[in-house]
Amino acid sequence: MSRLASHAGTASPFSRRSFLVASGAAGVAFGFSRVLAAIDPSVPGSVPAAATGPLFEPTIWFGIDAAGIVTVNIIRAEMGQHVGTALARILADELEADWDKVRIVHVDSDPKWGLMVTGGSWSVWQTFPVFSQAGAAGRIALIEAGAKLMGANPANCTAKGGAVHAGGRSMSYGDIAKSGSVARQFTPDELKALPIKPVKDRRLIGRETHGLDIDAKTNGTAIYGIDAKLPGMVYARPKLPPTRNGSKVVSVDDAAAKKVKGYLRYLVLDDPSDTVPGWVMVIASSYYAALKATDLLEVTWTTGPGADMTEASLQDHARALVAKADGGIQLDIADDDSTPNFGAAAASTIEQIYTTATVLHFQLEPLNALAFEKDGVFEIHTGNQWQSLILPTLAKALAVPETKVVLRSYLLGGGFGRRLNGDYTIPAALATKALGRPVKMILTREDDARFDSVRSPSVQRLRMQFDGSGQIQTMEHHACAGWPTQVIAGPTLLAKTKKGGQYDPFAIAGADHWYDVGHQKVRAVANDLANATFRPGWLRSVGPGWTNWALESFMDEAAHHTKTDPVAFRLKLLSGEGRNAGSAPNAVGGALRQAEMVRQAATKAGWGRPLPADTGLGMATSFGQERDMPTWVACVAQVHVDRASGIVRVEKLTLTVDAGTIVDPDGALAQVQGGALWGLSMALHEGTEFAAGQVKDTNLNTYTPLRIADVPELDISFADSAEVPVGLGEPATTVVGPAIGNAIYAATGARLRHIPITPAAVLAALRAR
Amino acid sequence: MYGIVFAVLKRVLIGIVGCVAVALVALCIFAWRPAIAEITPPAPASFAPALIAQGEVLASAGYCASCHTAKGGKPFAGGYAMATPFGTIYSTNITPDVATGIGTWSEPAFRRAMHEGVARDGAHLFPAFPYDHFTKLTDGDVAALYAYVMTRPPVRQEASANTVPFPLNIRLLQAGWKTLFFTPGRFRPEPAQSAAWNRGAYLAEGLSHCAACHTPRGKLGAELKDRAYAGAPIDGWIAPPLGKTNPSPAAWTQAELVAYLGTGVSRYHGTAAGPMSAVARGLSQLPAADIAAIATYFASSNGSAGAGARDTAAIAHALAADRIGTGLSYDPAARLYASACASCHYNGRQLNPLRPDLALNSAVNLDDPTNLIRVILYGVSARDGAPGIVMPGFAHGFTNADVARIAAYLRSTRTAKPAWTDLESKVATIRAQGQGQ
Amino acid sequence: MTSFTINGRTVTTDLDDDTPLLWVIRDHIGLTGTKFGCGIGMCGACTVHVGGRATRSCITPLAAVEGAAVTTIEGLDPASNHPLQQAWRALQVPQCGYCQSGQIMQAAAMLQDFPAPSDAEIDAVMTGSLCRCMTYVRIRAAIKQAAAEMGAKP
Ligand code: FES
Ligand code: FES
Repeated sequence: MSRLASHAGTASPFSRRSFLVASGAAGVAFGFSRVLAAIDPSVPGSVPAAATGPLFEPTIWFGIDAAGIVTVNIIRAEMGQHVGTALARILADELEADWDKVRIVHVDSDPKWGLMVTGGSWSVWQTFPVFSQAGAAGRIALIEAGAKLMGANPANCTAKGGAVHAGGRSMSYGDIAKSGSVARQFTPDELKALPIKPVKDRRLIGRETHGLDIDAKTNGTAIYGIDAKLPGMVYARPKLPPTRNGSKVVSVDDAAAKKVKGYLRYLVLDDPSDTVPGWVMVIASSYYAALKATDLLEVTWTTGPGADMTEASLQDHARALVAKADGGIQLDIADDDSTPNFGAAAASTIEQIYTTATVLHFQLEPLNALAFEKDGVFEIHTGNQWQSLILPTLAKALAVPETKVVLRSYLLGGGFGRRLNGDYTIPAALATKALGRPVKMILTREDDARFDSVRSPSVQRLRMQFDGSGQIQTMEHHACAGWPTQVIAGPTLLAKTKKGGQYDPFAIAGADHWYDVGHQKVRAVANDLANATFRPGWLRSVGPGWTNWALESFMDEAAHHTKTDPVAFRLKLLSGEGRNAGSAPNAVGGALRQAEMVRQAATKAGWGRPLPADTGLGMATSFGQERDMPTWVACVAQVHVDRASGIVRVEKLTLTVDAGTIVDPDGALAQVQGGALWGLSMALHEGTEFAAGQVKDTNLNTYTPLRIADVPELDISFADSAEVPVGLGEPATTVVGPAIGNAIYAATGARLRHIPITPAAVLAALRAR
Repeated sequence: MYGIVFAVLKRVLIGIVGCVAVALVALCIFAWRPAIAEITPPAPASFAPALIAQGEVLASAGYCASCHTAKGGKPFAGGYAMATPFGTIYSTNITPDVATGIGTWSEPAFRRAMHEGVARDGAHLFPAFPYDHFTKLTDGDVAALYAYVMTRPPVRQEASANTVPFPLNIRLLQAGWKTLFFTPGRFRPEPAQSAAWNRGAYLAEGLSHCAACHTPRGKLGAELKDRAYAGAPIDGWIAPPLGKTNPSPAAWTQAELVAYLGTGVSRYHGTAAGPMSAVARGLSQLPAADIAAIATYFASSNGSAGAGARDTAAIAHALAADRIGTGLSYDPAARLYASACASCHYNGRQLNPLRPDLALNSAVNLDDPTNLIRVILYGVSARDGAPGIVMPGFAHGFTNADVARIAAYLRSTRTAKPAWTDLESKVATIRAQGQGQ
Repeated sequence: MTSFTINGRTVTTDLDDDTPLLWVIRDHIGLTGTKFGCGIGMCGACTVHVGGRATRSCITPLAAVEGAAVTTIEGLDPASNHPLQQAWRALQVPQCGYCQSGQIMQAAAMLQDFPAPSDAEIDAVMTGSLCRCMTYVRIRAAIKQAAAEMGAKP
């Protein structure tokens, strides 16, 4: 029994030879293959070069061949962070390799690599110790072998520039590998015990470098998932059901689709993993035929939950949930979990609601996947950020053991968290299984938007209580949104409180801040309607994207409430005491490091100087994503508000970042530039709404992310630090929005509590004053 | 009582029928044209090469091929569909094929068709064939055209059936139309005008039949002589006015006309699009002096004389308007324009002929938004407009509201003219019409 | 049948007239440096040159390029060494890189019109090219660097 209802189509896809190329057109081909076992983004076409001669592989993380080429295995996805370069620098530095001989290879999903995920700005932080040790292991083994080959005492040998030196003599790593005489392997325990170089001896980390993936990205030779192809493959485009969950196909009529030249058939997917319920795949011999035929295919469905859902009903539901005292999960923050008694002993209290709109990932490369079966193993060729998460689902969908599924990673035309959710691999895999031939599925931009795991809309309620001297006694933060980790990754990845409550840490992170606010209560509430209507996604910085909007706007309101300067107010609360003192290894210094960033940003931005009319400075700060991996950042926005039109012009963003050791300074700057502008984009330019269970804006005619003309002056600086390197991809995203909101307040006295901030909202806020 | 009434009625009826019959007979006699004897197609070698070459240039400037060639079809084999208010008329095969073309037409038969609108077999031709203009051609030019078409490769292709409904499809009625609207006769020069002007008038009024598109037509499809060149709808487009009422803020000077007619591109007015593309292509084959002559003819009456200062101001204004909306902007229409259009249409410092300036372009300045909507929806191909350059069409991704938003935005930021009304439904109508041929 | 040249070579195809040039280039000719982003002419990822002018290939039907000369990122410079490409590498403009072929092709066409572009001109012409990684600051700098480099040449 086939899992797929199907219908025979028209022509055979390969009877045509529709493309003639004039003679002498070498390299122009029809039906050539571009499937890669692994990719090296530094070579045109991304095919890693074969090793020369015997290979020395002291750990699974790298090898050195007879030509001295050091190939570093990268398990992280390359989506613009030049992650391979940054990670290879760590290893090469410790290995004392010659950087010109270092190559990187993005590998497949073999279980030997362990957990494969690229997100949360974790890559450098997680890899740093592992690659440092791997490099050290290689260096030690090479010194030993080199000493032996040169007849020298290892104690008198040093490694530098890809060679072992003994007195006046030296031997290159390549020659040592060529000798075949090093076979040393290290156990994990041995690795952990290896000494790492002191900071002062670093030669590559922290120095300017050229990203190994850059060149191929300037001449069209970089290979992304969408570029993967295989002779004999057919093209597929989905006909998307009316709801993300629970839709069922009632009938399909392809009479009109059959008139499209190249249309082959349709498939109604039956998905045991329930990832893509109600999907119909249109199969054609060219992508354009698939596009046209899908438009013409008539499908009727029964709908699942959320078919009539609107943004307003999602938000109203969330408002009701945060207004209630019970429900949700209270985080283990307070020393006791008593509910602070608002009102009674307090001299004053403030309370506000903050909201954020639905946001699309809109990574520029629409989702796609090439799937085929080879020797009983299903191969999925695509760009993906979390191979380990989707592999079991793929196995379930295909009804094969996990060992029979391989994901091969290509460059990602943007990730931003969308490709953490590998749901798009499932339909391609099911289609290839049904058809018995390679299938290349590409979503249109509109399909991509409708199928997006959007950033959930959110509602947050914040309260603060002050004593007679203006001291904060208590603070509450209730945040309600869709929970991506719960919906996509399942309960095992949820965080647990001491009392056994389970919550999505990514949906509340940021609310557990480093300010001293007395009795603190943080409550995470899942918006069950959101969870049922769509698959909430992790989107660049995830929860802090909304929690920090609320927190930092509220802190500003609190400062003004107590008639304190917002910078001074924050500095006083970032005292670094008690639970905010920080701890080794990742959070050394604690809140004091955050305070330092606030101080520096304020100084650099000229905080307190006189400004023209309707112009203001706003401060916001953050510790990044997670308390145990904090990246300290502060941002001052300078804005001008046009009172007549409500248009906010951001004139300058000043950002200061303490991310510990900076491995790749230029790459770090690029990440902060990108993150800050994402923050700006979400604060002023983008955002959509649910209507009838679907996002309203599906393409750039109405979805309006930041473009070049919108970019303000940026002043970004990094703390000079030798602390543990932490994440950089996301923290800047979350400070820009509240900095802008606070600056608007400084300029005009109008307070905005929803992002995106529209001119209409500014006008309304000005009127409401 | 009833009997008397009935008898009277019967007599009246007989009288009417009789009158109609007499009129019909009269019309038949009046309208009847003899067939001209079939001939064996003349051998191509019987025509002087110079005459054929002359005919080729004339055929180009008369756009014979554009109307007598179907999309993707063989040249001159007919089948091009012309939608008229009276039904669809398909052009005929004018290759020298004996069975389906004009292979058996003698030169006098050909000349009669050109000068009088009568086919070789005596049938009256529909005025979709602009014999009301070709009648002005000299016998010499007709001979050259004959030499050219009769030396084309013969193509066997039956004519497509027209969809002109009864009774309009009665060829005889065309004779009546001719009595009302057609004045046969060769071109007569205006002695008061220069030789160049007269040459331009001969070409414009005759061979190149400019009025066929640019002059509005009456209910029965005849050009309204009192509104010559006042602009008219044609094939889903608007042929703009060629006289003083042309809406572009920049004048159509003789120099601009020369550039536009000869290359399809004017620095100020942009590129030819729609049916005008074929016109510019056709005219470009004429000798430079002939193009200049046509330009002289039109420039003499369109008020462009001494436009210098006015143009300078208009261009400065256009360049200033060009910058609107290209910086930071929250206006959704401005963002749409900046993202979809400005990357090509931005001029900034000086006008670039390959980037039509939308403040000066007639499409934005006409009272009717049709041309602008059409170009936004369907673009301009490399063959049309500026040769080798493409404006892509936005029909696929843009909703009617998007197109309307851009059109309204351009109208309001680039001109001081009244806003177009009902834009969205106009976009819907034009989208429903499709791109055309 | 439609014929045109791509990067100097002549190609002839009988694909449907309405096939977008983008898919002809990517799937049938096999040059994948030109990218698909939005399919409606609003992101610029698919930008190629037609007759030397930057053109969104996703909304350009095949029939529209009959007889035209098309250039893709692969054909911009024989050694991928256009001054813009050099500047792009020197300033490490790309992040994910997906938009960059289109950005470079758009910028190359712009420099023909505006050899020393001002910020306003860059804004006007480059706003059609979306970079979701937000590499805009570097795009602006690299265009200026390339313009200076090109101007420095005789
Ligand atoms: S894919 Fe062509 S402009 Fe976006
Ligand atoms: S570099 Fe990623 S979209 Fe521009």
